[in-house]
Amino acid sequence: MGSPVPSLYLDPQIRDWVLFPITLVMILVGVLRHYVVFLLQSSPKRLPRAAIREQRALVRSNVLRATSTNSPIPLSFYQAISQDLSKAFAEGTYLKDGPPKQGETPAPPNPLSDPAAMDGMMAGMRTQMVMMVPQMIVMGWINFFFEGFVLIKLPFPLTLGFKSMLQRGIQTRDMDVRWVSSLSWYFLNFFGLNGLYRIILGGDEAANVSQNLAASPFAMNTPQVTQPQDLNKLLKAERDHLEFAEGVHQWIGDGIETRILKRYGSL
Amino acid sequence: MDVTSALQRSANYTTKNARASRQIFESGIVVFRNNAQYKLGDDSWQFLDSLALAAIDVGRIDVAQDCFIRLSAEFPESPRVQCLEGILKEAREGPEAALNFYDQLLEADPTNTAVWKRLISVLRRLGRIERAVEELSKLADTFYTDVEVWLELADIYATHHQYTSALRSLSHVLLLTPQNPFYVLQAAETAYTAQDVPLAIRFFLMVVEMTGVDSDETRPPPPPTGITVRAWYGVELSAARLEANPALGSSSPSKTRVPEHLSQLRQLARDAINSAQVDRRDAETEASSAWLSR
Repeated sequence: MGSPVPSLYLDPQIRDWVLFPITLVMILVGVLRHYVVFLLQSSPKRLPRAAIREQRALVRSNVLRATSTNSPIPLSFYQAISQDLSKAFAEGTYLKDGPPKQGETPAPPNPLSDPAAMDGMMAGMRTQMVMMVPQMIVMGWINFFFEGFVLIKLPFPLTLGFKSMLQRGIQTRDMDVRWVSSLSWYFLNFFGLNGLYRIILGGDEAANVSQNLAASPFAMNTPQVTQPQDLNKLLKAERDHLEFAEGVHQWIGDGIETRILKRYGSL
Repeated sequence: MDVTSALQRSANYTTKNARASRQIFESGIVVFRNNAQYKLGDDSWQFLDSLALAAIDVGRIDVAQDCFIRLSAEFPESPRVQCLEGILKEAREGPEAALNFYDQLLEADPTNTAVWKRLISVLRRLGRIERAVEELSKLADTFYTDVEVWLELADIYATHHQYTSALRSLSHVLLLTPQNPFYVLQAAETAYTAQDVPLAIRFFLMVVEMTGVDSDETRPPPPPTGITVRAWYGVELSAARLEANPALGSSSPSKTRVPEHLSQLRQLARDAINSAQVDRRDAETEASSAWLSR
């Protein structure tokens, strides 16, 4: 193959009527999808006060524990807050539906029966549909009209391993790997246009395909769904952490006089 | 003032978020009358918001009303615009009407913090401290990490001489922002007022440690500035009181131990304050001689 004469000539018409239209259509579909996703996004649901309080209960003890070895507050204040929190966690004061009844084990909530969780799942699926449907249509369109087209020649050599990636839809064993088929051009665009979308549409990445395809709507929502059912247990477990943090509590005001005197050279 | 310079100044005020109402109003009104705020781009809404607040401050309710109409046409459901409407109501119809308005909004959405905070400030102004404290506690209970709420609570307690409660609120502030020396200073001064002098002196020393020199710096240490001077004053005052009246040390409500080496601390504080005074006098002399030699 060392000859300077290329083995294949491409009709310029292919460039004008296949290569550019496919690229243009893909860009336009991406932009359109961005706006459709934007329209479909429901405004975040407002949580009732009790729900917010429940959600943020753990934050309190985290804030308290974060600094316990170099705490900004003295032990008596620390103990007051820590013990209040511990008591509240034990009694379930922060739970949305009030403390659980004695002897009654709360049934784990079914994510499908919780309307709030259901809403989130539906929103995710809707976004997925907007992502998938146009891609399927565009792919069908390319497959139907341009199957077996060779569109461009890459300006650099590649190993044979790229053959299945670059020449999808063409069954020729001997063709140079540098030739790219229409379907492969579609896939290259599909994954390669994200940077362009980011420039056209700003940093908002609603059109970012690869990221959204990676996460299925169910996989995306499971962590949020599983969390509430053992929040009560989490809070109970947090009591141990609190107790432990109280044990290692050290106020930075302790021994500060020696530190200051040393720093200013009087000791 | 021509429109261009007015625009320039308005943009400056908008980004700085300062409450210089008269200046904001004077430059803002020129822009507004010439309908030039669209040149600010997306900042124009922020500009209208600050112009409206400034107009209320200087008593030009008509201008504020115009701004509000434009804002509410653009953002009908925004809590911020609702808040502005409430402030307008406070200015025009008095606090009672505004209170009703805020109550209605909160009934519709009990987690609207902007409106909630307005409600509390109106309550405080009307002197209904009990309800204000109640609402503030509820707000702090829901949004624990909001430092502003805890500070306001501490301020209310302090103005009503409930220094122990104020200290408790401030302890939450310290937990949330342990890196801010100003809050430590506030806690120190509150502790001092609450007669908990050992706690106060330790807080004052914490401020000195946070804002003063680093250990490996040159000796003698450079004169303290700003907040550190105030903290040194606190150290001096507390140490003097503890020396004069040792009983204060054992009666600390928070069971804080009295620092050792009190006299040395006191000496150190005096030296620091002295050097700050000398430094200031030098600076003043320099400034005045520079002014005289102009």
